[in-house]
Amino acid sequence: MTINKILLTFGSAAMALSMTTASSVVLAQDGPLRGNVRVVIGSTSTGGDTYQNSNIVVEKLAEHLDLNMKVDAVGASAAFRALDRDSRGNTLMIFHDQSYLGHLYGVQGYEDIFEKYTIGPTVAINPGNAYLVPKDSQYQNLDEIIEAVGNGETVRVAIQPGGVSEIGFSALKNAIAIEHPGKEDNLVAVNTGSQSDKNQQLFDGQADVINGTVQANEQYTRLPEDDQKAMRFIWLTARESTIEQAPEEGLGQTSREQLLEYTEPNVTVTMGDDENFTFDKEFFFLYNKDMDQAIVEQIDTALAEIYEEGEIQEVQKNSFFIPNFLPSDEAREHLEDKRSRYEEIIQNIQ
Amino acid sequence: MESGLSDLLSVSVDFQTSHLYFPTIITWIMAGLFVAILVTKVIPFLAAVKRGERTLPILGEPMDAFRFFGTLALIAAYFYLMAVVGDMFPYTGYGFLFVSIPFVLLMSLLYAHEWTKKALIVICINAIVAPSLVWYILAKLFKITLP
Amino acid sequence: MEFLSLLDVTFFLLTALGALVGIIFGAIPGMTATMAVAVCLPLTYALGLNHGLALLLGLYVGGISGGMVPAVLLNIPGTPSSITTTFDGYPMARKGEGEKALKVCVIASVVGGLISAAVLFFFAPILADFSIKFSYIEKFLIILLALSVIASLSSNMLVGIFSGVIGIWLSLIGDYSISDGGNGKTRLMFDFMEPYLFEGFSLLPVLIGIFGISTVLLEAEKGVKSDLNDERVKIGKGGGFSFGIFHGRFTNMIRSSFIGTFVGMLPGVGGSAASVLAYTQEKNLARDSSEMGKGAPQGLIASESANNALTGGALIPLLSLGIPGDSTTAVLIGAFTLQGIQVGPLFIPENVDTWYIMMTALIFANFVMFFLMFFAIKHIAKVVMVPKHILYPIIVMMCVVGAYAINYGIMFDVWTLLIFGVLGYLVQKVGLEVAPLIIGFILGSQAEVYFVKSLESYGTFSIFFTKSPIAVVLWLLILASVVFSILMSLKNRAKQRQADIS
Repeated sequence: MTINKILLTFGSAAMALSMTTASSVVLAQDGPLRGNVRVVIGSTSTGGDTYQNSNIVVEKLAEHLDLNMKVDAVGASAAFRALDRDSRGNTLMIFHDQSYLGHLYGVQGYEDIFEKYTIGPTVAINPGNAYLVPKDSQYQNLDEIIEAVGNGETVRVAIQPGGVSEIGFSALKNAIAIEHPGKEDNLVAVNTGSQSDKNQQLFDGQADVINGTVQANEQYTRLPEDDQKAMRFIWLTARESTIEQAPEEGLGQTSREQLLEYTEPNVTVTMGDDENFTFDKEFFFLYNKDMDQAIVEQIDTALAEIYEEGEIQEVQKNSFFIPNFLPSDEAREHLEDKRSRYEEIIQNIQ
Repeated sequence: MESGLSDLLSVSVDFQTSHLYFPTIITWIMAGLFVAILVTKVIPFLAAVKRGERTLPILGEPMDAFRFFGTLALIAAYFYLMAVVGDMFPYTGYGFLFVSIPFVLLMSLLYAHEWTKKALIVICINAIVAPSLVWYILAKLFKITLP
Repeated sequence: MEFLSLLDVTFFLLTALGALVGIIFGAIPGMTATMAVAVCLPLTYALGLNHGLALLLGLYVGGISGGMVPAVLLNIPGTPSSITTTFDGYPMARKGEGEKALKVCVIASVVGGLISAAVLFFFAPILADFSIKFSYIEKFLIILLALSVIASLSSNMLVGIFSGVIGIWLSLIGDYSISDGGNGKTRLMFDFMEPYLFEGFSLLPVLIGIFGISTVLLEAEKGVKSDLNDERVKIGKGGGFSFGIFHGRFTNMIRSSFIGTFVGMLPGVGGSAASVLAYTQEKNLARDSSEMGKGAPQGLIASESANNALTGGALIPLLSLGIPGDSTTAVLIGAFTLQGIQVGPLFIPENVDTWYIMMTALIFANFVMFFLMFFAIKHIAKVVMVPKHILYPIIVMMCVVGAYAINYGIMFDVWTLLIFGVLGYLVQKVGLEVAPLIIGFILGSQAEVYFVKSLESYGTFSIFFTKSPIAVVLWLLILASVVFSILMSLKNRAKQRQADIS
């Protein structure tokens, strides 16, 4: 392509003229990954956990590989499309379990990621997925809710439909179907949006239980009982072993020990066969299917070295993420296994 | 009586089809208003056009076709080429930079009425400096992703 | 006071710098306060919490204020919340009163900003408790009230309402978003559009397309005559600015500031509704509002004091519920999480120093904004003297940057500019009205979510009337607004008839 060359020459010339800071951009790097790299994420929020976690990882990675890398919060649909179009490795994606849960729940715009994309390494877990009730709720714990629904009481749970926020609800419904067959329809989903919408449903008395997070709701659990906004945790979906890795001081004024009271085995939601449901929200890379395998390996190696150094773990833990690096192969296997377990739950309750 | 009224007002929205609920209402309102406007405004207007009292918008008005369609074509080409060129240099913002320079230049030339030497110099300087400055500040300094 | 020891020269310099950069961002069509805060967010890693907040709050205040500049001078709202500023600002600029209009805006802005800061400081926790009384139903009624401005804003009520409904219809294209609690399915489009239009048209590209690009098209059609130049050189001469303009306008300014603060504090209702609502109320309540929309300073006062009052308002739920009140504070929340600080109902009592620091930065930023703008206006207003063949290509280019950057790099947003540029051109050509259309577009998707979710929860229409006393009050306001616009329209018609006869 001569035009290409001309433009490139012109580009380099313009670059050299403009500023010395720009010079590193077009210089070829050593590895297969070169040029500027854009990491799109499945969330549009730059205040949320996906962005925060991606930023931590990408910053370290950019430093390690000596590349320009940037996280762009374009949202799920736009992120998948950007990834579809670019097989050169200049576009990477970071997302979490929503990517396959959306597909399991049949949400428009979500396809089977295991088929359509290459699964990259996992990097961290957000252990905060939680369910809460008003502080003065008649239900003291999750067992009482399961019992109540089994006895024919209607319990309404505010969730955001079609993904991470719904999976715990589905598991709960499944557990009720196992323990009190035929009664599961008394557990009703109140489909709503953001965390503030979910909280609002609780304040309005339109929901008895809400999905939330430790990070967003912890302060609400410390309000005095006579405050209309006061809430109480009843269930954290994370594995016990995940929360055990959190900093001892926990989050805010709630210690790790206190948080562990709400995970299994203290709070159990059965999946049948003596197995309990748990859900860790994991962040991982997604690549274009046709991207060079060498890039996959390059990133795996780089991340392995970064995690070897041990500094990133500290940063992640400070922001209440649990470090969880698995190289691509293991990550794929792990996530596929996870998916098939949840698929079963969702099929059971349909 | 009481229950009759509340029956009339009660409604159940099925979540699976709830995405169509509001759009359907709005589409009907829009259609109704359209008919109303058709009857009260458009038909009298067309009648006036027929009598030669009024002229049709766009078609019946004088326009600078060269500048108007030139603008449309330039903008369309600008948007299209920006993505194409940008794709050659992923995420450097060069697509924006390299295509904006000719775009600004051509659009200025299109709009300028007098091509004096002085005007042309200003136009050329502007076409090079403005996009470069924007590119440098936004793409380099603030690290905003540009095409 | 321990926090005083945390204030240093750097703190004030960063706030001032933030305000300056924010003003520039806001003043460039297509760049917004949200964007300014988002691009500077990573810097706060290095700056630490207090200095980081100083910078970000400066950007926030500056960015919201800067939006008035292109709104007045170019008829392009620099940020979505300055849309109502164009209604009166641009007509004034055309009369050669651009400088005067901007000065009115700046004063209204600083008053709005300071009032809302005071409200934030003294009443944040109480107001947060009040704001959670607003459920989907009350929020729907607020949107409905804001929509009722369409009727009084349009020169022909039927055409205006039709334009507004088209705007609402356009805003519904795309998916019924899961993040609003919808089912994530798309509607009002064909399958082949899905890759581009899945999330519908985004607001900012629509706004700058319909104002910026269609202005360029309309000018191109007329041949981009430079003759207007002579007329526009009169900048600052036609009707000078004096504080006398504010005589009798204090109620308006105070009322609008409170409306802005109040709308800002309702999570989800969003910034643009604030200025629209303030504008409606001024139109309905003012003794003489017949000049509004044709270049009346009272419209500017309503719009600008409300949109700057957003800043303090939107911080109320952020700091006392952990919930952002608008899109900019949603980004701001990132600054806290980056530093490992939780925001929530206990934020203020547990971080008293940070709280005072923020208040100091907010108030200082408002003063800096005021002085920077008030004395720079003379020079800023000269933008309109730049020849059109230089100015327009740059406007188009900046619109592209803004559209592309608003969602962090989506090419379809750039095409949206052209689509809505052409649409805006056609709309004006066939005699539809742009302002109602855009207000419909801004408020449409929220109206849907609140309306459908209310019905889903309660299963009856009667709930809209019986939910709470707040709902009843809102209905009375809506009713008043509608009655008023009908009276206005009748009066206008009578006046016109009289004029025709004579």
